[in-house]
Amino acid sequence: MTYLLITFQALVVLLSAPLVVGMVRTLKARFQNRQGPSIFLPYVSMLSLLRKEMTITKHSSWVFRVVPFVVLGSAFFLALVVPSLFFGIVPSSLDNIFLFGAVVALGSVFLVLGGMDTGSTFGNMGSSREMTLAALVEPAFYVSLATLALATGAWGMGGIIGHFTSLPWLVAVPPVIVTLIGFLFVLLAENARYPVDNPATHLELTMVHEAMILEYSGTYLAMLEYASAIKLTALLAVCMGILIPFGISAPPVTFFGLGVALIAFFGKLALGAFAIAFIESVIVKMRFYRMQEYMMLAFFIALLGLAVELIVLYH
Amino acid sequence: MLRLLSKIITTGKRTEKCPQIPTHVEEIGENLKRAIHTLYGGRTLRIRHVDAGSTNGEEYELTALGNALYDIERFGISFVASPRHADVITVSGPVTRNMEHALKTAYEMTPEPKIVIALGDGACTGGIWKDSYAGVGAVENVIPVDARIPGDPPTPEDVLRGLLSIVTTTRK
Amino acid sequence: MHLMSSFTIDCLFAVAFVLPLVGVVLSLLTRRFSWNNTLVQSIFILSGFAGLIAGSYFFALLGIGNSASFNATFFGLVNIALNSMQVFFLMLVYGGVLLTSLYAIQSLPPYKDVYVLPTLNVASAFFIVGMQATILSPSLFTFLMAWEIMSVSAYFLVIADRSDESLRAGWLYFVMTHIGFACIAAGLLLLAGGNLFASWHDVALSALSATPLAISVAFVLLFAGFGSKAGLVPLHQWLPYAHPQAPSGSSALLSGVMLKVALFGFIQGVALFPFVPSFSAFLVIGIGLLSAFFGALRAAVENDAKRVLAWSSIENMGLIFSAVGIYLLVHGSPDSAVSAIAPSIALFIILHTVNHFIFKTGLFMAVGAVASKTHTRNLDELGGLAQRWPIFAGIFLALSLAAAALPPFGTFFGEWTYFQTLASGMTVSALFGGSFALILALLALVGGLALFAYVRMFSAIFLGRARTTHAEQVSPMPILLWLPPLSSVLLSITAGLFLFPILSAPNAFTEGMTLFGDVAVLGGASMNAWWVLLSVLSIGVLLMVFRRFLSNRNPARITDTWDCGQPITPRMQYTATGFSAPIRFFFKSILMSEKELIIEPISMSNPWIVRRRLVWSIQSFFEYWLYRPIGIAVFAVSHAVKKLQNGVIQLYLLLVICALVLTLATTL
Repeated sequence: MTYLLITFQALVVLLSAPLVVGMVRTLKARFQNRQGPSIFLPYVSMLSLLRKEMTITKHSSWVFRVVPFVVLGSAFFLALVVPSLFFGIVPSSLDNIFLFGAVVALGSVFLVLGGMDTGSTFGNMGSSREMTLAALVEPAFYVSLATLALATGAWGMGGIIGHFTSLPWLVAVPPVIVTLIGFLFVLLAENARYPVDNPATHLELTMVHEAMILEYSGTYLAMLEYASAIKLTALLAVCMGILIPFGISAPPVTFFGLGVALIAFFGKLALGAFAIAFIESVIVKMRFYRMQEYMMLAFFIALLGLAVELIVLYH
Repeated sequence: MLRLLSKIITTGKRTEKCPQIPTHVEEIGENLKRAIHTLYGGRTLRIRHVDAGSTNGEEYELTALGNALYDIERFGISFVASPRHADVITVSGPVTRNMEHALKTAYEMTPEPKIVIALGDGACTGGIWKDSYAGVGAVENVIPVDARIPGDPPTPEDVLRGLLSIVTTTRK
Repeated sequence: MHLMSSFTIDCLFAVAFVLPLVGVVLSLLTRRFSWNNTLVQSIFILSGFAGLIAGSYFFALLGIGNSASFNATFFGLVNIALNSMQVFFLMLVYGGVLLTSLYAIQSLPPYKDVYVLPTLNVASAFFIVGMQATILSPSLFTFLMAWEIMSVSAYFLVIADRSDESLRAGWLYFVMTHIGFACIAAGLLLLAGGNLFASWHDVALSALSATPLAISVAFVLLFAGFGSKAGLVPLHQWLPYAHPQAPSGSSALLSGVMLKVALFGFIQGVALFPFVPSFSAFLVIGIGLLSAFFGALRAAVENDAKRVLAWSSIENMGLIFSAVGIYLLVHGSPDSAVSAIAPSIALFIILHTVNHFIFKTGLFMAVGAVASKTHTRNLDELGGLAQRWPIFAGIFLALSLAAAALPPFGTFFGEWTYFQTLASGMTVSALFGGSFALILALLALVGGLALFAYVRMFSAIFLGRARTTHAEQVSPMPILLWLPPLSSVLLSITAGLFLFPILSAPNAFTEGMTLFGDVAVLGGASMNAWWVLLSVLSIGVLLMVFRRFLSNRNPARITDTWDCGQPITPRMQYTATGFSAPIRFFFKSILMSEKELIIEPISMSNPWIVRRRLVWSIQSFFEYWLYRPIGIAVFAVSHAVKKLQNGVIQLYLLLVICALVLTLATTL
């Protein structure tokens, strides 16, 4: 039964990932006073990519071909362990916060290797920048996750969210608001959003994530785009799940509970997509060589969140 | 920021209605038909634009396609940076000798199924530079062309009408 | 049966000790023959094998707990009480000897014009014997002697190719290791109350009656001496110069094993103290974290592949020593919540020692193989080797992932233990919460930089196109050059799967605990290496099945790289220097990097025709802020003292009279 629930939860995350990307894109268009594409466009887009042939550069090696599998695999793992509908179903050894961070890092590493194996400068530049950002965002990432674990006494993502669902909102959530802001900084950095990176740019000098996938086509490109959509959805589900812990339940699960969980999940994703579209419409992308300021700010906010939490715990 | 937000809200949605699609369209080639049918009826097209030596008039009009008035994105059409990501290659300008090789490699690296659209008079027929020593003439002298959108330069509405007519008539 | 087994263990340890000396003799006797190197390395392999079997027998017989003790008699010549910790470190020595000697059978012959192989092997043999003797030593004098043999033979390994760079590195190493030796000798003698020939038991006894000041001074001296040998800042200066210069197999031993022997020396030394001074834990933690940060940062920006690995060793030893410091802090605390942190930290120390040994020896051997085939160690000159050596590239990638502590390799589980223990320890008190969180953040940054360094090294060597002709025409790699690194990869995975559960609950295994259960550390968090491996494999299989069914089945079309229409050359790719440019920019003040564009006009008539040269350099932080000021101070003092030698004979007579008066005054 638990395996069924885990599979169902993972499938929901996997199927809703392109929807999140579509919602962000359409909402951004509305902020720009345009009509924007349909929110289901990424589905058609990725499916049509699967029908295209692949052209691969002759200067790449087998590493180039393995990269989409590992990146998509790490995204699948995130989809499996993120408690989007239920908590307490994944074995506690698999959703540990440090394993979560390590799998995210594994995906980033292989994407960087994919960018380096192209023989062209664009991919290499994207890889260099992405690796720097991944290295510098780690302190903020781990401190914010550790603060959440400290606040809840649970070391897995499921346990953390479960704790937030069991307490009244005013008691559980306000102490971690600052940590959530720090986590938001990390989310924007890991998912190539403003102000760290522009996912819709055509100028290679402004690309970080896009530059690494310039040499990919067809199925591999679909896998990489899907992986980044899943990562966005998973991290957004974590963030919104803590902010609005409504609807997530532990087994045994009734049909009514399942329905409520699904509606709550899609509502949270829509709210999160709106928040990201809003952020992307009112701030500008920062220059890459100012990223240390962004990372230090994220780290200090995470530390501030930890201080707030320690005060709440020990005062 | 509040000023920006209030300006966004007061301006509202400015996108114009979808342009009238002409019923008459020239002969549809095999490659075009196959490509549109494989790509789910052209509901999503990624365009990589190659400037093979144009006056940049076509590029200005293409840039305008992304703004709030014309909003090409609502039809699922977007511009991409790399030929490897593209379904459609639009070429503008007569092909100059310097850009001949670049155009050929861009075409070669685009994965099948692909569509080539010649944009503007210079690309369609060679324009006034047809017999110039510095150019090779129309795009079809270099790579096979599936569709043409004439104009010097074609207005954004012309481009939009052209693209939509290609997609909708081939879909039938 | 028991008696027979202990006799076997005894014999095997003795054999493992004596065989390298036999190898010395044989090496010198057969030096004219071409099979000389193979013979000596085979003897080393036998020695390593014997030792590994003896160690495994020891653990199988006596269990893994601390209290196991065994009397080794070495054919009745001596009587040494071996405990588990000594056998653990001995196993590292034997494992390292086994792998590197296997590697050296085919790695050394191409260099027979550069190294004098018979003498190199003599130095290696004494190095191996020295390391074993250091661990086995029952008394202070034998320890110091063995330490000296180990250090001096390491010197001969460093200068083996007799180039200018090696001689300079060797000189630096020689001076610093003897400064360290002096500190160790002074510290141990302080504890032993001046008795040079005391056994460890006697030293511990006499340490009981030492004054607190003597204890503090002895601790600082021991930490300085052992820390310098282990590569902790600020006394690490020799390591990045010396390790790259030795032959690859010896570098692997120097970095993978000798640093662990220094760790062993420190732990054994601290165990003699009746109590550790109050500042000691903070000193060790601080120096450890500083080493970890500097090691990771410099590894991310170095261009010499072996120097990257040397700095990475500094980083990892810094991690281990910071954990040792935390152990010193929490061990024996009256608060049970605080002292509960200690076992988990000890688990990390053991796991990381083993994991670092595994991946560092593997990486040094792999980099050595690349260097021997392409004749360069410079990352800026390599590239594209994954197309020529696909399997070896896979092995190197696995080793790099293991070094960066990513799952499913064993290093991840060790570092998980550390991170998790720190995080769980945050719940003890607000003070612990704040400080452990800061340590956690620093470790996360160190991990990120280490990740950067290894991704950069792998990409520069194997991916893209060959940047220079060095990497273009390379011959296939001989089997014994890639087999030891492959063994390291397999060992790393097995360490995560087997060592991690076994070491976390060593006594539970005798009571039938399963190998596949969750490993729980402080605070109730658990990790299961088998589940992680299973999920990795199953997701991989799932994806491959989907790819087969869900996509366009046409084979991929091979084209050129997208170059925007302009032909690109291999030199237009990012070099390793370019890849690390953002890190150099962000940490500019620490790295003290300088970029200078030198413009020289060439033509008299036309000032626009110039020669441009871009020179960039990184200064060593500690050399600039610590060694240089000390050097300047020493020179200043000696210049001032020189004024005493002004040739005026009356002043000399006055000095003699002063010395006499002073001596008479102090003695009377």
